[in-house]
Amino acid sequence: MMYSKEELFLAISNVIDPEVGFNLVEMGLIYDASCDDDGNAHVTMTLSTKACPMHQLIQQWVKEAVQKMANIKEVEIELVWEPEWNVTMADEHVKKALGGG
Amino acid sequence: MFSVSQDFAPPFKLISPFFILGSLFYLFATIFLFFFSTENISLLDTKVLSFVHIFLLGFIMMTIFGAMAQLVPVVLEVGHFGVELFYAIWPLLGIGTVLMAAGFLSSAALLPYGGVIVLIAMMIFVMEIFLTIKKVEKFNLVMSSILISNIFLFFGIIFGLVMALGYAGTIDVDINSLLRSHVFLVVGGYIIITLMGLSVVLLPMFGLSHGFSKKPLEIAMIIMSLAVLSVVSSSFIDYLFLEYLGYFLASLSLIIYFYLIFTIYKTRARKEIDIYAMSLIFAYFSMLISLILGISYLVVGYEPLLLSAGWLIFFGFFGFAVTGHVYKIVPFLVWFERFSPLVGKQKVPMLADMVPPKSSQAQFLFAALGVSIVAVAILLQDDTLIKAGASFLVVGAIAFLRSVLYMINYK
Repeated sequence: MMYSKEELFLAISNVIDPEVGFNLVEMGLIYDASCDDDGNAHVTMTLSTKACPMHQLIQQWVKEAVQKMANIKEVEIELVWEPEWNVTMADEHVKKALGGG
Repeated sequence: MFSVSQDFAPPFKLISPFFILGSLFYLFATIFLFFFSTENISLLDTKVLSFVHIFLLGFIMMTIFGAMAQLVPVVLEVGHFGVELFYAIWPLLGIGTVLMAAGFLSSAALLPYGGVIVLIAMMIFVMEIFLTIKKVEKFNLVMSSILISNIFLFFGIIFGLVMALGYAGTIDVDINSLLRSHVFLVVGGYIIITLMGLSVVLLPMFGLSHGFSKKPLEIAMIIMSLAVLSVVSSSFIDYLFLEYLGYFLASLSLIIYFYLIFTIYKTRARKEIDIYAMSLIFAYFSMLISLILGISYLVVGYEPLLLSAGWLIFFGFFGFAVTGHVYKIVPFLVWFERFSPLVGKQKVPMLADMVPPKSSQAQFLFAALGVSIVAVAILLQDDTLIKAGASFLVVGAIAFLRSVLYMINYK
């Protein structure tokens, strides 16, 4: 593997949802990420709502964030709706901030 | 590289006139209030009709149509049939509204002209929506709400035109019985069902609500549709039961809808009470109080109760539901056009940064006070209080116009 899941997540954590102000990783929207030895990356992700008007843009940002990593050739984004996202998937500090805590 | 289409965010220059004109008409409507006294506030007074059309056509419908240019693809999950048609809608709707308002005030002969121009604008809108819906392969509840509400709008504007011809003396019709149908088709059938459908998409999207049931929406929509059909039937069949059945069903539908909104509110992850949440809370409580006043009117028959209920539905519920969403929709469209290409290249603002805090808070505060004061003034039949409420509303409307222009020009 060229990059670990953690390294890919770190790269994707630069992508911020402009509506809530948190990055996609801490929101819990990135379910999985992998990269083979040839530099082909695969990201499995979801969105907080199916009706998100920014869904194309957000996927593009994720793709670009991974493509910026050295020696990455291809990035495939798989958008899934199962399991459905809910706030319990977000990091503690995000839950606390959203909940006004 | 992904190709990001404009399907989900039409060009802002296409939509911005709807919001600018809408907020100007809102301001005109609030200024209009200074010319009311308790003696001329009645459902058939020409000043009231002029005012209602400025508010509903010029502000509510204008803003909803602009918002729909962006929201329809989001809700229907397909691109517009011909989003460029929206370039024709706002000038026609604007001119038609001015002519209708002038027609009611001074020259009834203007009404058919205004009515026809409004009819053309709305037909373009409805047909564009129908042709967009045709592209949908699998229908869900929200898509059905868009279809149903636009069918009601189609018939509502036909009734409206017939009434305009009646007012001008071109044809002889019973305006009073048609008025009920026109109001129910447009207000209950279009505006309320549209708000119902959109609210299960937009409120959870902004509040991050999950795990609530959409069943109440289905029930509320069916009951509201039956209410509209009941009232429309009562215009043709002289049977009082049908009319009152319609009022009862409409009230029941709104109670169920309020319950749905409450469940969405309770299941939200985002607890922050921003200008959007504040506006929506005020809107839904206005709806609830209006409902109580409306039901009280049916029991005791005191007309100011009905007028105050109508005021709260229009300026409280519709007004704040619309202004609240403007604070979400306009920043998104401006951000999408101006800042999304810069993501990853330079620091870009968050959407919330684009909402002016002072003028949005001022708008909320002054408009909420104004709406509440006028509601009480109508109940007490107090002219001085109406003027006091109007003063607050004018300041609120100026602050709203300022907020809209600030967001549109954000750089």
